Amino acid sequence: MVSVPSPTHGAHSATAVEPPLPVKLVIAGGFGVGKTTAVGAISEIRPLTTEALITEVAAGVDDLTHTPGKTTTTVAMDFGVITIDPKLKLYLFGTPGQDRFGFMWDDVVEGALGGLVIVDTRRLDDCYAAVDYFEHKDVPFAVAINAFDGEVQHDLDEVRWALDISEHVPLVVFDARETRSVRDALLVVLDVALTRAQAANPA
Amino acid sequence: MVAGEPVPHNAAARERTAEDSARDVPEPTESEVPTEPVESAESVEPAEPVEPAEPVGRASAIRPFLLTAGRVAGSGTGPPLPVETQIVTTPDGLSALRSLTFERRDIVAACRRPQSVAELAARLHLHLNVVRVLAEDLRAAGHLAVHVPNTGTVHDISVLRRVIDGLRAVPDSRGSLRDSS
Repeated sequence: MVSVPSPTHGAHSATAVEPPLPVKLVIAGGFGVGKTTAVGAISEIRPLTTEALITEVAAGVDDLTHTPGKTTTTVAMDFGVITIDPKLKLYLFGTPGQDRFGFMWDDVVEGALGGLVIVDTRRLDDCYAAVDYFEHKDVPFAVAINAFDGEVQHDLDEVRWALDISEHVPLVVFDARETRSVRDALLVVLDVALTRAQAANPA
Repeated sequence: MVAGEPVPHNAAARERTAEDSARDVPEPTESEVPTEPVESAESVEPAEPVEPAEPVGRASAIRPFLLTAGRVAGSGTGPPLPVETQIVTTPDGLSALRSLTFERRDIVAACRRPQSVAELAARLHLHLNVVRVLAEDLRAAGHLAVHVPNTGTVHDISVLRRVIDGLRAVPDSRGSLRDSS
């Protein structure tokens, strides 16, 4: 399979500089759940913020009863970078977590290797949309409970039950402030992605 | 259906939404939207607050699509460039640098070092969709090479293994972050 990005546009692509192959993981979850913290804990640069205009409509995940009229708004998306090697760059995109940002998710999740849904057990509701979204899009994902102050107030089985996630979906506890902890959570996601890719392409 | 495959139906949806955005845009959004990043709530977490490297704000001070003459999808017919699309200045672009102005010049200058659409937008304080439009223009003019990621990468076992190995090599603690600029 060809994995090197090829200049697909135009004949003017001759350049001395060959950019790295970009891959991405998406970090999703409700507001204040620790997405930016997690990105910042592992990114080799300080998280960057980009703004995008979105229209508050979203197929599939949006509850239109709450948004009878469409409005355009600006959302901020934080992201970080990990240089895997000179030819491979991993981007981590923290995506706004509310239902109405479904459009933003499409924009970012397309082509992602996988997703990590961060959960605050005090506000489980906030992550339903993200879980539904990844399931619906068939993106490999794992759920990570952010242990604020090292404390998780619920039993893992309770959380799994409350979120209604299938047993194939890994559920881990992590600390969004710790590089090591974020790294390991992302490795869980990649393991899901690898297992799935291997199942699809038996050697 | 796997996420990495080309998905024309989504593309169509996005085009439509983008057009709608353009129609809705005329009033500056900053009047309704707090200028703080929406997720600033996260910075009050017990964790060490992680501030964006540079304040966001310049982009919303002007009507974003003024820069693109109101266009939202560039001249291209395809879906919007993925956010991780790598952009590199071409030798042509480099020699044309002096003749370019404002954002176009900034973009061509910045892309002497390859970077993604998202990085470019963040560093130049431009809206993502504005960068997409301008990048497509500059590509059409031969000033930029635009490397759209191959969607098959998601299923590429060797790439996944490289990412896994690379991540495993990340030290337990990052220490102080390098500056991003």
